[in-house]
Amino acid sequence: MNMSQKNKINDLDPEFGVDSRYNSAKERDSDAVALMEARLERIRNLSRDEIIRARLMQLKLKMEQYLRNPFYDGRNHFSEFLEAYIDTIYPKRSAFARDIDITPVALSQVINNHRDPKDEFMLKLMVHSEKVFQKVCNFQKRIWYEVYFHDKISHTMSRQEEWGPEIEQHVMVSEPFVEYQTRDPRENDSEIE
Amino acid sequence: MKIVETSTGIKHSVEVLPVESEDFRSIKKERYFFNWKEERLFEIRKLCLAGSNDILGLISFEVIPREWRIHIRLLTVSKENMGKDKRYEKIAGNLLAHVARIAVREYGEMACISLKPKTLIASHYMKKYGMRVTGVTLSLEVPEILELIRTYE
Repeated sequence: MNMSQKNKINDLDPEFGVDSRYNSAKERDSDAVALMEARLERIRNLSRDEIIRARLMQLKLKMEQYLRNPFYDGRNHFSEFLEAYIDTIYPKRSAFARDIDITPVALSQVINNHRDPKDEFMLKLMVHSEKVFQKVCNFQKRIWYEVYFHDKISHTMSRQEEWGPEIEQHVMVSEPFVEYQTRDPRENDSEIE
Repeated sequence: MKIVETSTGIKHSVEVLPVESEDFRSIKKERYFFNWKEERLFEIRKLCLAGSNDILGLISFEVIPREWRIHIRLLTVSKENMGKDKRYEKIAGNLLAHVARIAVREYGEMACISLKPKTLIASHYMKKYGMRVTGVTLSLEVPEILELIRTYE
C-alpha cells in the first residue's frame, strides 16, 4: 500500500488500522528511552487507589488465565491468589481476618495450605471480593470456587499413579453392565440390520 | 467482548485468538491491507465472531518485558469493516483491549501499551482511547488502560 492509498483510507476511517513498526533499532531505542522517562514520572505520581485498582485487575486477569490453562504445576494457586488479594488491599492480614470475622490463625492456615478453606470462608470471601471489585471491573465471585476446585482436580489427577493401585483394590463393578463393555459395538449394528 | 452490527445495533460476542499457520491462507493483503506473513516472528491475534472462522480484525505486537510494555506493530480491520459503510463497529477497540489485558495481567500498575502511528491518526487514538503522546509514541497506561479494559469487557 503506497502513502496516497493509506492517507485516502485514513480519511475514510481512522480505525482502518495502524502501521506502527519502527523503521530501525536506533529509532526504537531512542523512542524507548524518552517513553520510559515520561512513564516513570507518571508511575511515581500514581495514587494508592490507582495502584490498588491496577493490581486487582491484574489479579482477576491472572485468575482467568489460570482457569484457561490446563496443566498442573504443583502450586496451590488458590492460596497464592488469596494472599495477593489480601496484600493488595490490606496493610495487615489480621485486618482482613477481622473484616470477615475469622481468627488471624485460621486465615494464616488457609494461606499456608495447612487447612482447606471451609464453605463459610469461601462464602465470606466471595461477598468481600464482590464489594471490593464493584468499582474496579466485572468480577465473577464464583471464580474463587473455580480456582479452588481446579487446584483440587489438577492435584488429584496428577497423583493418579500414587493413589490408583491402592484404590483399585477396593473398587469392583458387580453389575452385568461390565460384560457388555467387552463386546464389539459393531455386533449390535449387524444385529439391527 | 462484543462488537456492534452497524445496521441493526445488535451486539455480537467475539473471540480474540492466536493466528495459526493455516490462517495465513485466508489472510490476504486485499482484505487486511498489510503483508501479515512478515509478522510471523511476533505475536498475532485475530478477532472473529464467536464460533466463526471469518477474521474481522488482526493485531500484531511485541512484548517488551524489560520496559513493562507491549508495542503494537500492526492493527487492522477487514476491508468491509472500514469506512462509513462498515458492517461492524468496535473491532479495533476490542483488539486494543485484548493487548491491554495482557499488559495489565503481566505488569500490573506498570503496564503500558504503545503505538507509533506513521500517519495523522494519532489524535484519533488520543481522543478515543485516552492515549498520551511522548515524542512520536502514543502510550496507554494506568489508569486509562484500565478504563479501556472495562469498556470492552
